[in-house]
Amino acid sequence: MTLTADAPKIDIVAPRRRRVGTAPAFAYLTVAPVLVLMVLIVGIPLLYSLYLSFNSTNPITKKWIFVGFANYSRVFQNADFWAALGRTAYFSVLAVVGTTVLGIIFALVLNQRFFGRGLLRSVVLIPWAMAPVSIGVLWSFIYAGNFGLLNGLLHDLGLGSLATAWFGDGFRALNLVAITQIWNQAPLTALMMLSALQSMPGNLHRAAILDGAGPVRRFFSITLPWLKSSLLFSTIVSTINALMTFDIIWIMTRGGPGAATTTLSWLGYVQSFQFLRFGEGAATLYLLTMLSLALAVLYFFVLSPKKPKPASEIPGKPVATIPRVRPAMVVIPPWNMRPLIHPTTQRNLTRVFFGIGVLAIFVWSFLPVAILIMISLSPPTDLIRTPPSVFPSSLTLENYRMVLMAEGTTSVQAQRVPVALFNSFVIGAIVSLINVALGTFAGYGFARYANRRFFAVSLWALLLTRMVPALTLVLPFFILFRSMGLIDTYLGVIIAYSTILMPLAAWMMKASFENLPASLERAAQIDGCSRWTMFIKVLVPIVRPGIIAAVIFCFLVSWNEFLFAMILTTTMKTQTIPVIIAGFLNQARFYEYGPMFAASVLAILPPIAIAFFFQRYLVQGALSGAVKG
Amino acid sequence: MSSINIAGLNKRYGQTHVLKGLDLSIKNGEFISFLGPSGCGKSTLLFCIAGLEEISDGSIRFDGREISDLGPRERNIALVFQDYALYPHMTVRDNIAFPLRQQKIDAATIAKQVAWAADVLGIQALLDRLPAALSGGQRQRVAVGRAIVRNPSVLLMDEPLSNLDASLRVHMRTEIRRLQKELGITVIFVTHDQEEAMVLSDRIAVMNNGVLQQFAAPMDVYSRPANRFVAGFIGSPQMNFLPGDLCGGAADHVVGVRPHDLKPGNGIANPFTLSGELVLVEPAGPFQFLDIAIGGHIVRATCTDIAGLSPGETITVGASPEALRYFNADTGARVSHSR
Ligand SMILES: Nc1ncnc2c1ncn2[C@@H]1O[C@H](COP(=O)(O)OP(=O)(O)O)[C@@H](O)[C@H]1O
Ligand SMILES: [Mg+2]
Repeated sequence: MTLTADAPKIDIVAPRRRRVGTAPAFAYLTVAPVLVLMVLIVGIPLLYSLYLSFNSTNPITKKWIFVGFANYSRVFQNADFWAALGRTAYFSVLAVVGTTVLGIIFALVLNQRFFGRGLLRSVVLIPWAMAPVSIGVLWSFIYAGNFGLLNGLLHDLGLGSLATAWFGDGFRALNLVAITQIWNQAPLTALMMLSALQSMPGNLHRAAILDGAGPVRRFFSITLPWLKSSLLFSTIVSTINALMTFDIIWIMTRGGPGAATTTLSWLGYVQSFQFLRFGEGAATLYLLTMLSLALAVLYFFVLSPKKPKPASEIPGKPVATIPRVRPAMVVIPPWNMRPLIHPTTQRNLTRVFFGIGVLAIFVWSFLPVAILIMISLSPPTDLIRTPPSVFPSSLTLENYRMVLMAEGTTSVQAQRVPVALFNSFVIGAIVSLINVALGTFAGYGFARYANRRFFAVSLWALLLTRMVPALTLVLPFFILFRSMGLIDTYLGVIIAYSTILMPLAAWMMKASFENLPASLERAAQIDGCSRWTMFIKVLVPIVRPGIIAAVIFCFLVSWNEFLFAMILTTTMKTQTIPVIIAGFLNQARFYEYGPMFAASVLAILPPIAIAFFFQRYLVQGALSGAVKG
Repeated sequence: MSSINIAGLNKRYGQTHVLKGLDLSIKNGEFISFLGPSGCGKSTLLFCIAGLEEISDGSIRFDGREISDLGPRERNIALVFQDYALYPHMTVRDNIAFPLRQQKIDAATIAKQVAWAADVLGIQALLDRLPAALSGGQRQRVAVGRAIVRNPSVLLMDEPLSNLDASLRVHMRTEIRRLQKELGITVIFVTHDQEEAMVLSDRIAVMNNGVLQQFAAPMDVYSRPANRFVAGFIGSPQMNFLPGDLCGGAADHVVGVRPHDLKPGNGIANPFTLSGELVLVEPAGPFQFLDIAIGGHIVRATCTDIAGLSPGETITVGASPEALRYFNADTGARVSHSR
């Protein structure tokens, strides 16, 4: 047989095209519910509020007029907008810088070995795990004018002349709100920095010590570059959280005094819900959304690590042609930098400073919480003593009796507390279970098929919802729910909470599934499992710790949520505990402060319990999502 | 280029006593290996010498000068870490220059010295890369470069070859030896690989559980092990240990014989013979290992020709009396054969 031109008559069987580009239908099925629901509960409301921003509504006649960009141009011409933008910028810079610096310091301390480190790691988390409403109540009372704790402390110290109305001065009020924001957010940055520090090879610092670098040099030359990519992420998160700060402003200053703490989010809220100028409010909130998106993109380009040069051979000089002179060794002069302080003294000094640092972190994180608990145990009359004092005259459980058993009080609000706790609990349980169930499926699809375009794009879309302030969503929800009769129903609140929790749960579960080896799935399939049985019988049991973490984290976020609940609930039928606490402030009668502090303590008990007993899960949630504001 | 004297060195982490009364005397320009199983305190000892860990008590002297109070940098030592610890965000050039910059040496001298170190290690072409763009062997060279660039008097290396693949490891160890000869520097080389220690060192310090077992030249350690631990740790495959009474000796002795010394033979040439069932034959290239079950023990022997041997058969192996080592059954110390 000879090979001729017509030889290839043999029918070459074309190899069956391997289906590289397509994912199995099962994969699409896992992410479908989340994506469809997200389109329904986030996509449509967002489009609706975009539409709103092109309309003018008359709150009395309820007539809608299409006005094109008129709302936007009105916003841009409004001096209030520019003032609010300036305040937002100042507030955000202060909050982000403070959060980042403090977070890094916390992380550096918590990364050392010392007695009580586990405890301190839990304590540090409390300010972040607490409901912002409780945080607002606590810090408002610390700074309160006549009877505030800070003034009380000054009187106790004999410095009564320094006592002042802390929120009286507008600029000071803005700074104090920023400090409160830092107090709340620093733990989140600390967690992210700590996890980056823990992944740093310990020998890096040892090498630098041997190379003669002191602690400061090492921090800037070794630690900071190592933290760079984590810093990028934490800065984005803390910037978005600062831009969207709302709850603590609502509780502490309500934009005042004057307009001194009116940031963009507060302005959008006031325009929408106090003046009922929905179109203008929507336009302001849309601008805020754009701002946070733009900043995220900017950070990404500025801070993202430069790509290392490709590992190709660097063209060197042709060695053979040039007569090579071997470089000679230089005799380096002996190290003569005598340390200023004797090493032993230095070690002792370091120990002392470190101890002070540990103590300072403990006091900063825990003292305010302890104070809140102490006030809730003091008789209400203590709160209006003249001169004020930080020491309670006696300890009593009276406040708790008022809110839990409705004994000895005429306060309507206090009587609502048990129902509100129940509502918070039920809503939290339902919403976390639903979203984690859906998120578990989606997390699998996103983890396994992350390189397929469809999954990558939809995952990005999911993450982008993180950049949307809840305020932008609450306005369309309010209007839509009103017409659908969903205001003041569990269903309405659950839908609203799912906009936050669904991406969070999917993202957390994606991280859990990514840790599973792909070979596990193959083994299960070889053993004869269908994809469904493999998922339910093999994968889900293995990621159970991840599921528990997601449920706990979602519950916490739901428990602490204030904005949606405040706008979308109207009666004690559905009002949650943060709404009730905020409601106390509207009544503003001193004898209701006692029950309010008791309710605030009750509201922070679950977060504190989680910080202490489920710290691992909390940290996992924080690191994989950080969605909570 | 220093001599090192360690006397009565103890190191405790809280309750755990990691280094227990170490005494070592290292001469100027020697290549010393610290050899021991992992967790025995080799790295800790190295870190104590480097000043990265405080010692609990004892003394460390360089050229007769007590240095345990000095900071790490003042001791003029350099350390190559097991994971190399290259600064990930600095180029190779900056990595190597880093120790000199800390010393505020002028830029021209630094450039010269970096060029010298790069030339010695053959990494001139890599100077502008980041560590992430280097292979394992290249990273290792950079780590050595960063260590030698400031003319340390002692070079410490903590298992520097353990992250390399087998052939590169063999290549790099000759390079390290060459470099040490060239620089005339005192080197302390930590390893858990007995072959590495044997090949490289002038003397080996064998450690176990924080206690120095033996400190001697490689062949001394091999042929005159101080105790049963050293005998078992040095040499591959491991030395056979048999209860004394099983081979006609005292019951309180353990007899040790290396597989290479134990060969099939019917006892004519060798007065020391053992018989048992051949369990397994393992070919190892030029010779075979024979696993033989003798009195509930598996004894390993070697032979060059397995013709006529098959598993299940009874086989007799023997060794010359000079190849036998005797150890006290309780203390493990080597004893001379008495009875
Ligand atoms: N910082 C430390 N705290 C407590 N124990 C330690 C510490 N560092 C090392 N050890 C213990 O000291 C022993 C020796 O460790 P190491 O010197 O790293 O061993 P090697 O390098 O020989 O493998 C180990 O048992 C280890 O657990
Ligand atoms: Mg080690």
